Amino acid sequence: MSVTLMGPARNRVDGRLKVTGAAKYSVEFEVPKCAYGWTVESNIAKGKITTIDTKAAQALPGVLAILTHLNTPKFKTAPKKEGASGIRSEERFPLNDDDVHYAGQYVALVVSETIEQARHAASLVRVSYAPEEPLLTMEAAEHKAEKPKKNNDEHVQIKKGDVEAALKDASLVKIEQTYITPTETHNPIEMSGTIAVWEGDQKLTLYDATQFVKGVQNILANAFGLEIENVRIICPFVGGAFGCKGAVWMHVFLAAMAAKVAGVPVKMHVTRRNMFVGTGHRTPTRQTLSLAATRDGKLQAIQHVSETLTSMVGKFTESCGARSTGLMYESPAIRVEETVYPVNVATPTFMRAPGECPGTYALECAMDELAIALKMDPVALRLANHADNHPTKNVPFSAKHLKEAYQLGADKFGWSKRNRDPGSMRDGDLLVGWGMATATYPAHKMSAAAKVQLRVNGTATVQCATHDLGTGAYTAFTQISSEQLGLPFENVTFELGKSDFPFGPVAGGSNSTGTVGTAIHEVAGLLHKALAELAVKDSKSPLFNLKTDDIAMIAPGRIGLKADSAKADAYVDILKRAGKDSIDVQSERKPPEENKKQAFQSWGAHFCEVKIDPILPRVQVTRVVSVMNCGRVVSAKTARSQIIGGVVMGIGMALTEETYYDPPTGLPVTRNLADYHVPTNADVPEIDVAFVGEPDFAFNPIGARGMGEIGITGITAAIANAVYHATGKRIRDLPITPDKLI
Amino acid sequence: MSEIRLTVNGAKRVVTVDDDTPLVWVLRDTLALTGTKFGCGMGVCGSCTILENGKAVRSCQIPAIEAKGRNFVTIEGLSRDASHPCQRAWIEEDVAQCGFCQPGMILTACGLLREHPDPSDQEIDAAMSDSVCRCGTYPRMRKAIRRAAAALRARKP
Repeated sequence: MSVTLMGPARNRVDGRLKVTGAAKYSVEFEVPKCAYGWTVESNIAKGKITTIDTKAAQALPGVLAILTHLNTPKFKTAPKKEGASGIRSEERFPLNDDDVHYAGQYVALVVSETIEQARHAASLVRVSYAPEEPLLTMEAAEHKAEKPKKNNDEHVQIKKGDVEAALKDASLVKIEQTYITPTETHNPIEMSGTIAVWEGDQKLTLYDATQFVKGVQNILANAFGLEIENVRIICPFVGGAFGCKGAVWMHVFLAAMAAKVAGVPVKMHVTRRNMFVGTGHRTPTRQTLSLAATRDGKLQAIQHVSETLTSMVGKFTESCGARSTGLMYESPAIRVEETVYPVNVATPTFMRAPGECPGTYALECAMDELAIALKMDPVALRLANHADNHPTKNVPFSAKHLKEAYQLGADKFGWSKRNRDPGSMRDGDLLVGWGMATATYPAHKMSAAAKVQLRVNGTATVQCATHDLGTGAYTAFTQISSEQLGLPFENVTFELGKSDFPFGPVAGGSNSTGTVGTAIHEVAGLLHKALAELAVKDSKSPLFNLKTDDIAMIAPGRIGLKADSAKADAYVDILKRAGKDSIDVQSERKPPEENKKQAFQSWGAHFCEVKIDPILPRVQVTRVVSVMNCGRVVSAKTARSQIIGGVVMGIGMALTEETYYDPPTGLPVTRNLADYHVPTNADVPEIDVAFVGEPDFAFNPIGARGMGEIGITGITAAIANAVYHATGKRIRDLPITPDKLI
Repeated sequence: MSEIRLTVNGAKRVVTVDDDTPLVWVLRDTLALTGTKFGCGMGVCGSCTILENGKAVRSCQIPAIEAKGRNFVTIEGLSRDASHPCQRAWIEEDVAQCGFCQPGMILTACGLLREHPDPSDQEIDAAMSDSVCRCGTYPRMRKAIRRAAAALRARKP
């Protein structure tokens, strides 16, 4: 059976639930006698709590408990079990001591019978501090700067060839520029939240908005010293996440602790205000790019020096250079340097394409500047430096079709009609700019397991503790299950979002389709084997007495002899004759197979048009063409939506989004959606998405490399490059707001 | 606390809640109509949008005490089986991703289509632009609104 690049264009299987309000998000589960938790946050960035006065709050009707560092039982820190998972947002537990590490840190929690009582009571808690001078900038934190060797397993300081020599070579064309990206905040419309329910003191259930039920389960079991199977995490729908629901944040521990102390279930919503401190952000970056190329556009050196912030309570780093320059273009000399400065700001976290997104912004703007210095077309410059092999690992890329993406994108956009001179194109009074950039994101592989129940009526249920963040996972996994099991799409139900299910990894790093798809592939093989075992023992089966190893799925709904498909039996007949209503099979979680002979990476090309009023230079993105090369596109409709979503978030990053901190105090100023400007309808044009390439079966049996994140990479550079083309002004600090263009 | 009578999706309801409780919480937590979402609490994002006399209103901006005697329709009242032309169009165009803002978006679109049965792109942008979707579903939303508008016009005699 040949597998095409594009899977079917089906409607989202959870579409009806989502347009009728029937999809249940975490804090929407009905739990009887549920109390509400409301937090009190520090208004200093560094120092110590001296006193907390809770008397007035405690006296209010309905108040059940007030937790502070003075009365909160200590969390346990059980040793991490082997193979156990989970991501801690901070190295500390909440309300552990009197130290304040960042503004907005939770310093107390009020539990009350109603939400209004809790909110009012929290406003009456009086906290006094002994403030200290906080470190808030790279300059202030210079003495604490670190150059990490690795980010998890990935080398982030890279050196290949002689960069200095090329950068000093007078015969080469060079550019060197510094690019700035601000703090950005995820702001999914579903804010984080948790309902914590205890049964006795050994069993805990959390309805938690998370990208990783198995991770929350493990971390909460450790924090409360519980058996892991006594902790259940439920999250069938996630109202957007973009990385900010990957780690376990402080409110999750607090909800569980509050429910334990107050002796009632506790529901906690993280307010929109606290989504700007309590659930992470994309850290600001300062990146200096130095490029040297021959006059015909061959890169001789790329240097990418990036500086980012992290917090005092975690070690999250945004590896900009390694994840862009480290793999994008062929060059005899490449150097990537990364420096991280810890400051008294709440901890940053993964945000859609962490590293790749700001990294490609800087690199792809620098490539545009180089193209201008060389008087070369930006697409031609990229083609001249195309990397067939991974530039720093020196192995070939698998199923890379970036050249086709440039070509198709340029054709669809009409790139050949571009006049290269800045300010040369007009639409009436409006300045018109056309820009382009390369997109890239790695193909990540993790481990998962799956369970299938096939019933005698020919329907099946497949389960894995994975997630649908709006990605289309429910639909894609139903599609993969249907193909792999050999059952009609309508006969398959895919269930996710429960820690009771077989292991699923964090829904992050665009890994889910490939990882969970591989687990479905494995469990389908096990199901076919189990059916074969029944058939070969059944004298009425055409497969009677044959070897199970010689049998496989030969057509939808049928297993048969691989060598002679005339000898076959239908699943439902096998079950019927065996007198079984159903059969259950589960796969084992095992480490993913590594292929070090090839590199696996997704690619894409964005082309965009901006129009700008020269008098009040507000940038309007009017047209985008994005062509992606991500291996197999399992579910055509939902995949397209994913790429559009990445582009839209990139429009926000390019033009409007910035989380602003008050310089002397470190208090976030931007704390709601009126001040933090994400794109809305009028900001977003039609976005033409296309896919090129082939299924990448060298990567996994599904052929899919994932596409949750690649859409946001490169697009901010394409917009910044278009703004330059329209105006002749190169804005190197995002967002590109009108004041910077005046 | 007050006893408040209001009509939701055609049914008369009586709730006892704190006077200042935003209507969004009365709907979600007291009446278990969780299709109405809480996204910001300050009337900025639009995810708590419901209909009152066919007009889109933001339930986080209505204190419970002010909801007394009023008549609202939530997403659950539009149809439970997704048969309303807006809901159908939303499914066909794959508008929803995470889906969280979409009940508010659909009801905002219903409000628009009542005023403008055949809206231009500019009218769509104007009506929808103070509602926030972080998944970035806007281009499909425009298509779905045009599709729903055509279906609604075809339905009228």
